[in-house]
Amino acid sequence: MSHKILAKDKLDAFLQGLCRDQDLFAPVMKDGKVGWAPVTTAAEALWEFSNSELSPKDFFFPQTECMMRFKNVQGDPQGMIMQAEPALNKPRVLLNIRPCDAKAFQVLDMIFVQDEMTNDLYWRDKREKTTLIGLACNDPCPTCFCTTVGSNPHGTTGLDVLLTDIGDKLVAESFTAKGEALLKELPEVTRQDLFQAGELKKAAEAKITSGVAVDKINAATVMELYDAPLWDRVMESCLNCGTCTFCCPTCHCFDIQDETQGEAGRRVRNWDYCMSWLFTMHGTGHNPRGTKKDRVRQRFMHKFKYIPVKRGGEIGCVGCGRCVQLCPVNIDVRKVVNDMNA
Amino acid sequence: MTEAQFEPRIAAFFCNWCTYGGADLAGVSRLQYPTNLRAIRIPCTGRMNPNFIMQAFRQGADGVWVSGCHPGDCHYIAGNLYARRRFTVFKNLLEYAGLEPGRLHFSWISSAEASKFQQTVIEVTDAVRALGPAQHLIKDIRKVA
Amino acid sequence: MEAIAQKIREAAKKLLSEGKVDVVIGYAKGSVPMREYPYFAYTPEEAENLTWSSFCCNNLALYTIRRPGRMAVVAQGCVSRNLVNLINENQIKRENLYVIGLNSPGMVDRRKVQALFPGKTITEVIEEPEHLLVKGQGFEERIERKKFLRSNCLTCVQRNPVISDELIGQAGPEGHGGNIDNVAAPWEKLIPAERWAEMQETFKDCIRCYACRDACPLCYCYVCFVDEAQPQWCAKSQDEADVMTFHLLRAFHCAGRCTDCGTCESACPQGIKMRRLTSKIEKDIRELYGYRPGMEIGAQPPMSLFKPNDPQDFIK
Repeated sequence: MSHKILAKDKLDAFLQGLCRDQDLFAPVMKDGKVGWAPVTTAAEALWEFSNSELSPKDFFFPQTECMMRFKNVQGDPQGMIMQAEPALNKPRVLLNIRPCDAKAFQVLDMIFVQDEMTNDLYWRDKREKTTLIGLACNDPCPTCFCTTVGSNPHGTTGLDVLLTDIGDKLVAESFTAKGEALLKELPEVTRQDLFQAGELKKAAEAKITSGVAVDKINAATVMELYDAPLWDRVMESCLNCGTCTFCCPTCHCFDIQDETQGEAGRRVRNWDYCMSWLFTMHGTGHNPRGTKKDRVRQRFMHKFKYIPVKRGGEIGCVGCGRCVQLCPVNIDVRKVVNDMNA
Repeated sequence: MTEAQFEPRIAAFFCNWCTYGGADLAGVSRLQYPTNLRAIRIPCTGRMNPNFIMQAFRQGADGVWVSGCHPGDCHYIAGNLYARRRFTVFKNLLEYAGLEPGRLHFSWISSAEASKFQQTVIEVTDAVRALGPAQHLIKDIRKVA
Repeated sequence: MEAIAQKIREAAKKLLSEGKVDVVIGYAKGSVPMREYPYFAYTPEEAENLTWSSFCCNNLALYTIRRPGRMAVVAQGCVSRNLVNLINENQIKRENLYVIGLNSPGMVDRRKVQALFPGKTITEVIEEPEHLLVKGQGFEERIERKKFLRSNCLTCVQRNPVISDELIGQAGPEGHGGNIDNVAAPWEKLIPAERWAEMQETFKDCIRCYACRDACPLCYCYVCFVDEAQPQWCAKSQDEADVMTFHLLRAFHCAGRCTDCGTCESACPQGIKMRRLTSKIEKDIRELYGYRPGMEIGAQPPMSLFKPNDPQDFIK
């Protein structure tokens, strides 16, 4: 909507404004790892980094989330009645989020909030109360492949504001009314600054050299892909651990359990993962995804076939490359997808 | 609550063939001992899964006590001897991780040793009481995450 | 390294072309630096992909479990010890196994290397006899290999394979100078409250992906205790009690079996040092029962044994 300039020596004042009645979070370096933490000054936050090791999805979809509480007493008038947990009490700002992660939230919006019946208030509450200020990637990693899955190192999808570092200042572009309001006080951008940001975008895109192709996956039927011989090789080394799922910005499966302790009871939602045999285990003892091959196949099929089929071509992967870096047995999603596309 | 008033809860796992009988004998002999323990009968200390001990602490027990037959007296010949190795390694591990020594107890008490039973209850209860309420490993769903 | 890799490929090709085994399980070069991965070669052509480097951190013994047919496994000291474990625990049969043994040079911890270049991306690591040439965007540095060994490799006591049907290269020296007892020692000196604080600090980043369990060649239960639902020993939440229950019991289940291969720490996406628990157990088992896991076929695991005079000072 508008392009403004944020000088680096004015950052602290800008952040102070953000902190006034909101919680501000940003990627920080801690114990040699990039993770998210509350910040109040520009110096605490990272401005040059590749990306956080884990995705910031837990701001909206915590790994463990209490949904409701109840009194675990049969016969009591107040017993066994679910009480809602309080909603998020303070708006949040996520600063310096990468465009790929912001894009992921938009993909997840399509899943958590579909229609009146599928309308996850836990997700929605936190989404509505959060402002996303992105920081464009000028220096993508060798494992990044966002441009080939519909995202971009300078992508704007899902963001309120995108900051582009052009040296001693940042170009700030807003895309929503919320973003616009934040930038109101800032000076206008010059043609030269915009040109520089554009050049950086082109340079960043050029740095992404690896990628996936999905044209043949789109053309193939589900069963052709399902029965393809490649899964026998992909599954071989897989440990069936949850690393890829838990670091992934778009993986969103969960398991809801009721926990009780004496008279206390709560309903909790925990992250779950399709690589786990327990994930699909039925009470009958039957497991529809009983083998390692079934489970490994599920993850890739879900992201690159089922989601595109059901969500108008949207891919369930934003190309952040986290799973490529963290998989203990180096199952590289790019290779798997390109094999699927063969 | 002050230290003096603190009454610990102790999960006590007793072998059916010895300590459980020892407790019975202590009872019929009208021996007095603290009432802080909740006795759980197990078929043999060899049946003790370390999960049980962990589970007791998770549910808020301030102390755990496992008691079985003297070496050589096991009803199943060697259940307690296998258990002994497990207890050794598991106790060392928990205490290495920060569980206070004095929370986890083991004993060999036969069904004839009513007074040893009485003595051990007193010892175990005193030791756990001195440590105060359990702090670690407690699963508390009331806490807001 | 490359000379060894070439010999592994030759041995694998020979085995596969002669039909002695159905598959050779080894390592192949990963798509990112410092991450070789378990590779299954079924044909002599596929055997060309096998490699050997400073980053062969997965324990290949894992893949022999419940695998039908005849298989060859590339096994350095720790992997061979886990194979012996599995044979002793009746999980695999010696006659179905062909061990391509080799002396382990000690594997390099990619986190230690990465820590030298915080926030920078390493794009390539080239092996040299005693050094690694680390290249990245805008930097290049030669580092001394042995300074970056995984901590479990530093305290290794068995670099040569315990069993092998064929030895690649020469049997080499043992040890890298470290002492495993020093891993547990700092905690042993602390008072309980401090120990617990250390536990919390060590496991605070755990995301319960179970990569440590799933990478471990000891963890072959059909149903792990954390996955049991009736009763549920350990809830699925991130509550501290649940995370600790998992790690403590997992470590305990490795008692008398853990070969300190370090694959748990290498697999962990969060860099958690779970050897702080397993090394304590390793020490206890060695000191109390005089046993080192996986050193001898036919040895009985110490936790399924007893001696009449086992220590019992703590029992009233």
